[in-house]
Amino acid sequence: MTQEVSTASEQIAMGPAFWIATTIFLLAYGLIMYEKIHKTIIAIFGAALLIVIGIVTQEEAFTSLELGVDWNVIFLLVSMMIIINIMKPTGCFEYIAIKSAKMAKGRPFMIMAIFSTVTAIVSAFLDNVTTVLLIAPVTLLICQALELDVVPFLITEALASNIGGTATLIGDPPNIMIGSKAQLGFMPFVYHLTPVIIVVLIAYVISIKFIFGRKIVVKEELRQRVMAMDENAAIKDPVLLKKSLVVLAVTITGFVIHGMLDLQPATIALFGAGLLLLVSGIKDPHRVLAEAEWSSLFFFIGLFIIIGAVVKVGLIKWMSIKVLELTHGNLFGTSMIVMWFSAFASAFIDNIPYVATMNPLIIDMAKQLWPNLSGVELLHHPDLMPMWWSLSLGACLGGNGTAIGASANVIVVGMAEKMGRPISFKKFMLYGMPLMIESVIICMIYVWIRYYVLKI
Amino acid sequence: MWIYHPLKAGDKMGGCMKAKDIMIPFQDYLKPDDTLRAAVKLFKTAVRGEQKTGVMGLPVLDEKGKLVGMLSMMDILRAVYPSYMSMMNLGDFTWDGMLESFAKQAGYKKVKDLMTRDVVTVREDDPLMECVDHLVKNRVRRLPVLDKTGKVVGMLYVRDIFFAITKAMLEEDSGGVK
Repeated sequence: MTQEVSTASEQIAMGPAFWIATTIFLLAYGLIMYEKIHKTIIAIFGAALLIVIGIVTQEEAFTSLELGVDWNVIFLLVSMMIIINIMKPTGCFEYIAIKSAKMAKGRPFMIMAIFSTVTAIVSAFLDNVTTVLLIAPVTLLICQALELDVVPFLITEALASNIGGTATLIGDPPNIMIGSKAQLGFMPFVYHLTPVIIVVLIAYVISIKFIFGRKIVVKEELRQRVMAMDENAAIKDPVLLKKSLVVLAVTITGFVIHGMLDLQPATIALFGAGLLLLVSGIKDPHRVLAEAEWSSLFFFIGLFIIIGAVVKVGLIKWMSIKVLELTHGNLFGTSMIVMWFSAFASAFIDNIPYVATMNPLIIDMAKQLWPNLSGVELLHHPDLMPMWWSLSLGACLGGNGTAIGASANVIVVGMAEKMGRPISFKKFMLYGMPLMIESVIICMIYVWIRYYVLKI
Repeated sequence: MWIYHPLKAGDKMGGCMKAKDIMIPFQDYLKPDDTLRAAVKLFKTAVRGEQKTGVMGLPVLDEKGKLVGMLSMMDILRAVYPSYMSMMNLGDFTWDGMLESFAKQAGYKKVKDLMTRDVVTVREDDPLMECVDHLVKNRVRRLPVLDKTGKVVGMLYVRDIFFAITKAMLEEDSGGVK
C-alpha cells in the first residue's frame, strides 16, 4: 500500500509568477469565504486579472483541457437547469410532494421520512439547491396545515438532499467536477457511490426517527386538511409533463449508456435540453434560458481559470508533494485523510472551490506516484480510485456539518427565517454535525472494506 | 375644513401642470413601529380627497418626519400570503380558515418589516408627465410629493392623474366641436 514518493519540490520554480498566482488564488479564496463581495464577482475578476497579468493566456483559460474552463461541467449544469426550468411549471414536483404527504396519511414522522427519502432520490438526479427549492415550499405548506414546526422538516430535507446528491455523477456539482477531471462516467458513480449512499440514507432516516420521532405530533382533525388535498390539481400542463418525463427518461438512459455511445455526460444533458426545448412547443426560449443560474455558472468559469493558473505555476504540484510527504505515500491513509479533511473543510467552506483545488492536486499526486503513466491509465489507476470516491463522499457529505456547508442548507435557513422561525448556526450544527460524522464514518468503513480489504 | 377640488377652474391645463396642482395635501402617515392592525385602521380612516376616507397606501415617516417607506394594500396582502406559495403553484392546496388565521397572525407584524423601502417620489414642481413616467415604469399607484427640503407635502394618486388626463381629453374634444 505504501508507495515511493519522489521528493520533487526542487522541480517547482517558485518565481514571481508562482507568487503572484498564489497570492491572487489565496486572496480570491479568502474573499469568497469572507462573503462581503459576491463570490461570482471575485471569481470573474480574479480570473480576468490572471489573464491580464499573463499568468495564463486567454487561449489556455478558454480552451486548454488541463488549465482552462471545464466546459463539461458548465454544459452539464446549464443543460440540467434548462430541463428543470421547462418542467417546473407542469406541477409535477408539487404533485410528488402532495402525494408523498398523503401516502404518509398526514402522520408527521412519516411525512418527514418520506419527504427526506424523496428529496434524496430527486437530488440524485437534480442539483441539491433545485431539489430543496422544489420540495421545501410544499413542506412549509404541509407543516402549516398540520400546525407543525417547520424547522426539523427543513433541516432534514437539506441534509437529505446533500446525501442523495452524493449518489450519482449529476447529483452534486463536486461529483460533476470529479467525473470530468477523472474521466469517470455516470455508471462508475452509480457502481461505487450509490450503494454506500443507500446505507447512509437508511441510517439517516433511523437517526432522525430517534431525534425527532417523538417530538412531532399532530391532531387528528388537522391531518384531514392534508388528506383533503387533491394532488391531481397540481398538474397544470399534462401534455408538457408527459413530454418532459419522456425526455427525462431518454436523458437518464443516455447517462447510463453514455460510455457505450462514446459520448460525454455533458453531451447527453445538452441533447436532453435541446430535445425538450424542441418538443415542448416553447416559442421563445428566453425565460427558460434566463432562469438558469448564471451567477453559479460564472462562478465556476472564474474558478476554473483561477485554479488553472495555480496548476500552471506549480502551486498544486507543491501541495500534492506535501500531502504525500505527510502520509509517506500510504494510500489508505491518504484516502482517509482526503475523506475526513474534505468533510470538515466542506462543512465550513464552499465545496466547489475546494473540489476544484483537490482535483488537480490528486492528479498531481498520482503523477508523483506513477510517473510513467498518463491519461486514463493514470486517472483510473486501481490505487487512485478510492481517492476520487473519498474526495466525493467527504466533500459532498461534509456540507451537512453546518448551516453554511452547502447551498441547500443556506436556502432552508433563509426560508425558515422568512417564516419567522430562524435557525441559528449552532442549532443547525447540533443536528447537522453528528449526522455528518455518522455518514462519513459509514463511508470510511465502506471505502476501507471495499477497496482495501475486499479490493473490489 | 379642507375641500378637495381635483381640477379647479383656471388650472393650467393649457400650460404645464405640476404635481402640486393635483396632489392631496399630506395628512395621514404611518410610523415604522406601528403594527399592521394599527395600519389597516388608518387605511380605513385616512382622508382621500373630496371628504372621502379610505386609502390603498400610506407613507411611512420616522420620528424626524423623514420618509422611510410606503405601505400599500398589496404589502398587507403579502403579509398574509405565505412566501412559499409564490415559489410554486400551491394555490390549489389551501384549507378552510387559512386566510383568517394567517391574517390574525399578521396583525402583529410591524410596518417596518413589510413596507416598501425603495420609495419612488416626485418633487412638487415636477410636471405631470414625469409623474406618469414614474407611475408606469415603477408600477406604483401613488407617489409621495416632496418639497425642496425633502419633506413630504402631499400624495399624488393614479386616480387624480387619470382625472387630469380625462379632463384634457374631453377639453380637446369640446374644442374640436367649437
